[in-house]
Amino acid sequence: MRLPWKQTAREAGPQTSAFERLVLPLLPSLYNIAFWLSRNGADAEDLVQETFLKALRGFASFEPGSNFKAWIFRILRNTYLTSRAGLAATRTVALEDELNGNGNSGPAQLPEAAIDRQTPEANLLQMADRASLQAAMETLPPRLLEVILLCDVEQMKYREIAFALEIPIGTVMSRIARARAALRAALEGQQSPSRGLAHD
Amino acid sequence: MTDHLSHSILNALADGELSVDQLASTSQHLAQCPACTSKALYQSLLKSSTANAGQRYAPPPQLQDRLVRLVSEADSEAPAPEFRVTPIFPSRSIWGFASVGWAAAALLLLFSVSVIFVQRAAQRAEEASAYKAALVTEVFDQHVATLAGNVPLQVISTDRHTVKPWFQGKIPFSFNLPQGLSSDITLDGANLTYIANRPVAQLLYSIGKHRVSVFLRQASGKAEETQSLAERSGFHVMVFGAKDLQLIAISDVDPVRLTELVNAIYNAQAGDQKQPK
Repeated sequence: MRLPWKQTAREAGPQTSAFERLVLPLLPSLYNIAFWLSRNGADAEDLVQETFLKALRGFASFEPGSNFKAWIFRILRNTYLTSRAGLAATRTVALEDELNGNGNSGPAQLPEAAIDRQTPEANLLQMADRASLQAAMETLPPRLLEVILLCDVEQMKYREIAFALEIPIGTVMSRIARARAALRAALEGQQSPSRGLAHD
Repeated sequence: MTDHLSHSILNALADGELSVDQLASTSQHLAQCPACTSKALYQSLLKSSTANAGQRYAPPPQLQDRLVRLVSEADSEAPAPEFRVTPIFPSRSIWGFASVGWAAAALLLLFSVSVIFVQRAAQRAEEASAYKAALVTEVFDQHVATLAGNVPLQVISTDRHTVKPWFQGKIPFSFNLPQGLSSDITLDGANLTYIANRPVAQLLYSIGKHRVSVFLRQASGKAEETQSLAERSGFHVMVFGAKDLQLIAISDVDPVRLTELVNAIYNAQAGDQKQPK
C-alpha cells in the first residue's frame, strides 16, 4: 500500500528516510495522545512537532531493532511535562501520586463508589455510550489518563509503558487499576448524579 | 473455592499480561466462580470500550506535510531552495491594467475554489481515516475476545446450510457462504454480534491452526468493491464490499491465505468469479 507521505517526501539521507518510515505511521497515535493530554488542538500540534524534532535530533542514539514506539512516546511525554499545558496540569494534581504509596506497586485501593452497586447490564449500557466514556476519561488526572491511553488505546505492554513513562512496572499496574476504578466511578456518577463522584 | 481474584490479576488478565502459570490458575478459578467471571468480562469490555473511545482526535492533514517538510529541512545542510517568482505576464505594457485586474480576480477566484475543495477533501479523508481506525479497533477486539475461548460460539457447525439459516430473523440481511474451499479451510461456526451499534454476522473459519473472523454487515450506501488492508498487533485486517454488504476479515494468518478466503466469500456474494480489486 502506498502511503501518502511517500508521495510528498523528497529524496533525503538514509537517516531521515529511516526516521520518517518509523515515525510517520505513528503520527495519528502521537497526535491523539497529545490532544488528550493538552486538551487543545493547537497545543497538540506544537507538542507533536517538538516531539518530531527532538526525536530526529536524538535519532542517532536510537538502537535499531529496539522499541521505537515506546521511545518516541517517552519523548512526547517528557515534552508534554515541560510544556505550558503539562506544567499547569502537574501543578493541579501534584498530590495525585501520593494516594497509593507514592505510586508504587501494591494492591489498588478502589474508591468506595467503584464497588459493585449497579447491575452489570447497567454498566454495559453505560459503557456502550462512547460520549459517556470520553467524558469519564476527561475527568482522569493526567498521570492516570496517560497510562490508560498507552495501555488501552495504544495496546502497549506494561514494560513498554514503564519505559515510556519512566516508572516501575508495579507503578504502571497500580495506575492502571486506579484509572479503571476511577473510570468506573465516573461512569456510575454520570448514571446517578445524586450519588456524586468518588474522589481518588 | 479459593479467594476471589484480585483487581491486579483481573487487570492483567484483560491486558494479556498474565504468565502461563497465572493464566492457568486464573482460568481454573473463573471456571468455578461466576462473580469473578463477571468482573473479568467487565474489565475486558471496559478496556475495549476505552480503546474505542480513546481514538478521538485525528491529526489535521496539513500537519503531516508540515512535519515531513520540517524533518527534511532539519536533515539538509543546504539552505532551503529559494523560490523565485517569475512574472506571469511578459510585460505590463502589453497588458493593460484592466486585463491584469481581471486576471488577478480570476486567479483569486480559482485559488479560493481550490482551497475550499482541498479543505473539504481533507476533511472527508480525515473522517474516513478516523472511521477506519475505529472499525479496525472494534473488529480486533471482537476477534481477540472470540479467540479467548471462554464463551463458546453461538452456532457451532461446519455446515454452511446450518450456519446461514441460523441468522434468519436475527439480522436484516442475508449472505452466501462459499463452497469448495481448500481442504485446510474450515467453517467453525458463527456469532451474532454488533459493530458500531449495528447487527453483524461473525463467521469463524480456521485456516490450518489460524483462526479467521469474517464480519458481514449491511453497507451504508453503496459498498465499495475495493480491498483495503490494515495491520494491528500482528493481525491483518481486510475490508471490502460485495453488493450491499461490507465484509471485514481479520486473522494472523498469511495475507495470501486470508485473501484466498476473502475472494471465495466475495465470489459467493457476487455469484460470479470476479475478485475484489
